[in-house]
Amino acid sequence: MIESFRIDYRAISMNFGRQRVLENIALTISSHECIMITGENGSGKTTLLRILAGLEKPAQCDVSIDQSRPEIWRRQRKHLLKSIMYLHQQPYMLDGSLRRNLEYAGKLNPDIVDVETAVNKALQWADLERLQTQSAMSLSGGQKQRVSLARARLRNPKVLMLDEPTSSLDSESRVRTLQMLREFRDGGTAIVIVSHDPESFTELATEQLHLKDCRIQSGAPPGEDVVSLNQARQSQQQ
Amino acid sequence: MEVLLSSMAEAFRLLFSGNPEIWEIVGISFRVSTLAIAAAVPPALIIAFCLAYGNFPGRRFLISLFNTFLSVPAVVIGLTLFIVLSRQGPLGDFKLLFTQSAMAIGQFFLCLPILVCMAHVALQAADRAAWETARTLGASTMHAFFTVVYEVRFGLMAALLAAYGRIISEVGASMMLGGNIAHYTRNIPTAIALETSKGAFAEGIALGAVLLFLAFLLNGLLQYVQGKGSINP
Repeated sequence: MIESFRIDYRAISMNFGRQRVLENIALTISSHECIMITGENGSGKTTLLRILAGLEKPAQCDVSIDQSRPEIWRRQRKHLLKSIMYLHQQPYMLDGSLRRNLEYAGKLNPDIVDVETAVNKALQWADLERLQTQSAMSLSGGQKQRVSLARARLRNPKVLMLDEPTSSLDSESRVRTLQMLREFRDGGTAIVIVSHDPESFTELATEQLHLKDCRIQSGAPPGEDVVSLNQARQSQQQ
Repeated sequence: MEVLLSSMAEAFRLLFSGNPEIWEIVGISFRVSTLAIAAAVPPALIIAFCLAYGNFPGRRFLISLFNTFLSVPAVVIGLTLFIVLSRQGPLGDFKLLFTQSAMAIGQFFLCLPILVCMAHVALQAADRAAWETARTLGASTMHAFFTVVYEVRFGLMAALLAAYGRIISEVGASMMLGGNIAHYTRNIPTAIALETSKGAFAEGIALGAVLLFLAFLLNGLLQYVQGKGSINP
């Protein structure tokens, strides 16, 4: 179980050359939460996710971890990389067997004492035992997605960020991926998903943000770029 | 034709009779070139990595510069270093000119651009996601660096073999910086040049045969490595 935590991002802005891609976006990620970010192609969803994960340098961004004093993104990048795991749209498989991919992830987690046992458990969890000696590069899209989630299980991050996780999956793999993500969320891991297929994640998402014209535009009140579905639901109930 | 055949027969006799002078020259060649390539690999990898994954001003200029260095003749590198290492030069006090170290320095500068350019291409061909996956799985910068190097190891091996083949057979820089001193800085290419000028073709052919065998071996290895890399394991 992941301890409760909170990451606040403020004033995220990003340019590609002279073109502004993101402007003054604010976002909060907390444990047990699943945020879904939607938007048109080219709206900057992936760029935003990569900034949140610490992989892409923004033009401007302040980050506060567990309500500490906000610091510029560059200073917090190490913490972001430590707490967040980013899953690519096409998961990258390291050269070698599927098992080697999981062992790699297991060895990097200092909390895992017995890597062999942890890898076996992760293989079982992702239903990949039969494929463990197979070359990871030769797996199907759905199997690669399961490998990357099994690696995430071994890594045990506070936040899991996924870029279009179900875009190239068939319906069976999609259901399986959603089940696995639900287990992560229930264990306390925060999840941020970028997708232009929001219906797949309606049940999983606790918060939905829509990116348009460089900003989060989900009918948020003036001055606020974040809208929480939970908050909206609560206000509706009241 | 008769001269060629008799020279070749004499050359093989020299090689297989274990002529100490011939094998000493071969030993010097291997020692100097191995030292040069061993010294060039770490900086070349780091430079190639920065060029492939870095985003800094002047990156494109540096790529163009290293590509240009690929076509610089060995004698130009030899001449430049000769001036730098000669008594009046800025590094003259180290008294390196006409030593094996000077030859190794020359070969270092010859193979560095080859290693950088070929490693850069190999690293660029690798998915950037390899680096990001390693980092996001919790690898330190150094660990992620070695992970990516392992992922493109076949391309890097090809770079290494190509660079080694280039420096062990070059004559210009070795002649200028080593001075072709017998039992000390005489390596295979400079010895071939000397023996040919003396009309001692047998010795030249014997040494040429060693170079040819080495080139064949390196090319065979290159084919094997590239073939292995292209097969989806």
